[in-house]
Amino acid sequence: MIGNKFVAAMLAAGLAVASWTAGAQADPVNLTIGKLLEVTGPLSDTGPSQDKAVKLAVQFANEQAAKAGVQITAKDIGADVQGDPQAALSAARSLVDQGASCLIGPSITPESIAIANGVTIRKRVTIWPTGTSMRLRTIKDEGTIFRTVPPDSLQALALVAAAEDKLGGASGKLVSVIYRNEPYGEGLAKNFSSAWQAKGGKIQGPIVFDPAQATFDSEAGQVVANNPDAYIIIDYPDTYAKLGAALVRTGKFDPTKGFVADALALSTVPNNIPPQAIEGMRGTEGGTPTGTDAYKIFDSLWQKAGGAEHYSLDANSFDAATLCFLAAAQAKSSDPGAITDHIRSVTTPGAPKFYLTNLADALKAVDSGQKIDYIGVVGAFDFADNGDPTISLFDIFEYQKGKLVVIKQIDAARVTE
Amino acid sequence: MSLTALVLAAVVGPVAAGQATLNGLVAAGYFALGAVGLTLVFGVLRLVNFAHGDMLTFGTYVTLGVTALGLPFWPAAAVGVVATAVLAVLLDRLIWEPLRRARTSTLQLFLAATGLAIVLRYGVQFFATGQVRSVGLDTTSSVDIGPWHLGTLQLAVMLIGLVTIVLAGLGLRYTRLGKEMRAVSDNIALAEVSGIDTRRTIRITWLAAGGLAGLAGILYAAAIGSINPNFGFTILLSLFAAAILGGIGNAYGALAGGIVIGLAQEWSTLFFNPRWKPAVGFAILILTLLLLPRGIMGRGKARA
Repeated sequence: MIGNKFVAAMLAAGLAVASWTAGAQADPVNLTIGKLLEVTGPLSDTGPSQDKAVKLAVQFANEQAAKAGVQITAKDIGADVQGDPQAALSAARSLVDQGASCLIGPSITPESIAIANGVTIRKRVTIWPTGTSMRLRTIKDEGTIFRTVPPDSLQALALVAAAEDKLGGASGKLVSVIYRNEPYGEGLAKNFSSAWQAKGGKIQGPIVFDPAQATFDSEAGQVVANNPDAYIIIDYPDTYAKLGAALVRTGKFDPTKGFVADALALSTVPNNIPPQAIEGMRGTEGGTPTGTDAYKIFDSLWQKAGGAEHYSLDANSFDAATLCFLAAAQAKSSDPGAITDHIRSVTTPGAPKFYLTNLADALKAVDSGQKIDYIGVVGAFDFADNGDPTISLFDIFEYQKGKLVVIKQIDAARVTE
Repeated sequence: MSLTALVLAAVVGPVAAGQATLNGLVAAGYFALGAVGLTLVFGVLRLVNFAHGDMLTFGTYVTLGVTALGLPFWPAAAVGVVATAVLAVLLDRLIWEPLRRARTSTLQLFLAATGLAIVLRYGVQFFATGQVRSVGLDTTSSVDIGPWHLGTLQLAVMLIGLVTIVLAGLGLRYTRLGKEMRAVSDNIALAEVSGIDTRRTIRITWLAAGGLAGLAGILYAAAIGSINPNFGFTILLSLFAAAILGGIGNAYGALAGGIVIGLAQEWSTLFFNPRWKPAVGFAILILTLLLLPRGIMGRGKARA
């Protein structure tokens, strides 16, 4: 009797263990990636392409995971941040409540700061802003904020390079600087001005304007005063529609002397910005190396999907979603904190390199617990301690017939050399 | 004012001072035209109409909607003005008249107006989305006056604004209707006893205020070229400032108030970074009210 009971108990225990381990193996990770999109508000032009970028990353990663036999599937959900920190915070809360483990976006730094302080730091949810302001790094994010876009300290140097390129050097050249009164413009203007002056150039301004003003004519007059060699204009599309018109009305404005930063990198110039205010103007945006095989895959996914055109920083958000997927696969969990802890072990410099071209292999490697160095469409991330990437590739573009045309790519880290 | 302009010309040179003055007058045109309807409603009904800014937005979006159906801008603008006037009368029937009858306090009226502002704004957003929209007129053309320049549309807005305000002022002063409005403003019970049809007077006040709000919104949007559903609310504070500074209830007061705020803001840019422009405008508002508590054109004695 006793023997029988013992055998039965052992059998039952054995069955339980077997079914438990089988269950663990079969339990796929169900990941939810949240999109914090600028659907309305001053950067509403970026919403559709950011939405599409994350969607494509999720679809592609799901296909590759199935191919590799790795038990993880992801879905994406989105909310509108409206260009407003308060709205952004409630959008982020609602995405986290719906189970989002990573949040891709938003584009405006005060929104990111509100989200981090209000919800994501506490819940250890990673956010991946495309806002480039250095102000983001003034908060203690406890390792939860990663950017796949280089910060504005580097973009300012890219702007210096763009202006030098056009003017044939900085020495003795007068540049008029104007920015919309926000941390983004303030940081870029400050960094640009000090780098320009260090190279022997002269600065007029900075002229700072409040976006809610009824008129921008006095500001425009100050930009063109003293006939400067170039103007640096740090603005968003909605206010540039008004400031741009005011600049043209001065009768002294030459758009080919103008330089803008990534918030005004518009694949097609919207019809509310007068052509005389922008045609021939140059600018900088975080660059994506377009000659790589990874880019070819990304671009073919993009073209096949139809819908939104390529737009500034779409590849960066695509990469952010892919990194979140890889980290979840390695953590074998959709727990936000576990994902946060694995971001660096899928981007470890010196570990075996993987690309979008062999994402299935990358997933197999991380599934077996291996550290890897995933190289994104935009390049190697090599995240610094603060979560910013060390990549420094920038596009210099020019508006030609109402379209953004990339005329060259530069490494901003080499500008000071 | 003109003395200040001369002093400025001597200090910063006539070109810079003249240009800042012109820019200030453009802003004054926007503020004054927007403030006339506001001051009219407050003058006659003692209602702080926080929804006035969103009436500007409403008129403009109706205009854009009608242009999308194929009508050219200016005829569509006429539709926008009429629609806003009709909306104002409708809102009076639905909201303000019942509240008046219930003798609702000023604070409650103010809150109702704030609520209405939000409902209107989101109503516009519901139909038109929050996207930035282009009015589609040429905002870049300008006229040169000697060394100074001024946007063609800005000039048009200034002139239309001036004519409208003078007409409103003359209408209030000399027409029978204007006298009735002033009578209702002074004492509604007395006006009723003396045979004035106060309901009709109030309805016409709303019709005029709504039409003026629609016109102000459309002209402002035409001159700046690009708008979103928040634009009316964004300039509301400046409209209040112009109305209060000029002396509430007085059409010419709105003009005077608009000019003071517009010029103060733009002149300040000759000396300070434009980022401080709004602060200077409102500092002048406070200073003027300290010196002239009833506004520039306010009546000399306290109201009963």
